[in-house]
Amino acid sequence: MHEATFSLGDIAGSRFPLLEYAPDAIVIAGADGRIRLVNAQTERLFGYYREELIGQEVEILVPARYRGKHVADRSEYYAEPRVRPMGMGMELYGLRKDGSEFPVEISLSPITTKDGTFMASAIRDVTERRAFQARLQKLNAELESASNAKDRFLATMSHELRTPLNAILGFTGTLLMKLPGPLTAEQERQLEIVRGSARHLLSLITDVLDLAKIESGKWELAAEPVALRDVVAEIAASLGPLADQKGLAFAASIAEDIPPLVTDRRALHQILLNLTSNAIKYTETGSVGIDARAAECDGRSGIAVRVTDTGIGIKDEDLQRLFQAFEQLDPTSTRRFEGTGLGLYLSRNLARLIGGELHVTSEHGAGSTFTLVLPLSREAA
Amino acid sequence: MLYLLRAFGHDAHGESDGNAAIEAVREGGFAVVLADILMPGVDGYEFARRMKSDSRLRATPLVAVTALAMPEDRKRIADAGFEGCITKPIEPETFVAQVEAFLAPDPG
Repeated sequence: MHEATFSLGDIAGSRFPLLEYAPDAIVIAGADGRIRLVNAQTERLFGYYREELIGQEVEILVPARYRGKHVADRSEYYAEPRVRPMGMGMELYGLRKDGSEFPVEISLSPITTKDGTFMASAIRDVTERRAFQARLQKLNAELESASNAKDRFLATMSHELRTPLNAILGFTGTLLMKLPGPLTAEQERQLEIVRGSARHLLSLITDVLDLAKIESGKWELAAEPVALRDVVAEIAASLGPLADQKGLAFAASIAEDIPPLVTDRRALHQILLNLTSNAIKYTETGSVGIDARAAECDGRSGIAVRVTDTGIGIKDEDLQRLFQAFEQLDPTSTRRFEGTGLGLYLSRNLARLIGGELHVTSEHGAGSTFTLVLPLSREAA
Repeated sequence: MLYLLRAFGHDAHGESDGNAAIEAVREGGFAVVLADILMPGVDGYEFARRMKSDSRLRATPLVAVTALAMPEDRKRIADAGFEGCITKPIEPETFVAQVEAFLAPDPG
């Protein structure tokens, strides 16, 4: 601390009226609590002429109910004067001449002069800010309430929609297993159609629910080390038979040197499952393949997983529509290519959720390649 | 589900009321109990609480069969003491095998 070289009077009579024109009210008081100096903003905020304040106890500016504590705090401050905000975590109020109150924020600092140490307080009217904060809090509460309502609705809808399917799938299943007795060929055919539709309905419900979860931020994003090899193996196990049935060659090749991956396994599995299932669905002859290698994702190190097929391919003009919900490119062939129409839309959203991107290249009539690019981990710099 | 279980040779008994179900289980002799979660009156969680707090019934495997699919629900089901959870709608082809997996192995 350097020795004081000025007096209070010097501040008041300063050629540089920084204090006078400061945007906050500045009140300088002594150890005895009496006001020595105020500025123009003090007069404006509190509604006093400065002559009315000089010599008064600073508590004149404090609502009556807080005065006792304020006096105590003052002595405490003088015991250890330093620059600091006043009343952290408390709501402070200033008292105007007309008796009205307004919310304030106060900062304190000691001023050491030749005449002794004084306390300077900078006082700011925060009425508007408080009002804004209150509005914000109210909005947040409303949002949370609406969000909870939506979640309950989703959960209920999911349950309600799935429950009747239990009977439909259950009994078409038992009938087709011929447990109640033998079936004619026509009965069997019709039942299979019913079951197929019920299964389709179920995947629609599941997809819609997943979508809703993602969009409302409710998809619990896990981040765990994932062995890409295992995920691809699972997909090969689930869909391999389907490819065999269609007479397609199916191969998966994961490069030896791909770095370890940390991501949401369920999301990754779902994306790759969807891409591979599409590949098989839209390919009549030839092959479907999955391969993975190290790649760059957004300037960081990552992995690119490609699903390639020799299927019907996609026309350039249709590439735009590809990822939209409920779009299937050839409306006349919907019966051949059954699906919910949500798969690619969901996959793209999921890809984004785990920090990656989904790309496609294709040649109409020759085949397509869908590439999922992922960062090695969401936190990796 | 009763139909399926009986068709595969199991002796299956069903109740549509939680209270009656507790009584039936108390009467004894069941190798595994399947319970829905959302039921009027006594719900699945309450049923689990009652069953698992009864020393005679605690050892019997209790499996939830429910359309509730959210992760929070799964956790709540596990916390309530259910040994397992089968999702509705069931797959009729594999349902019985799934239930059989919860049966204690035959002695001897």
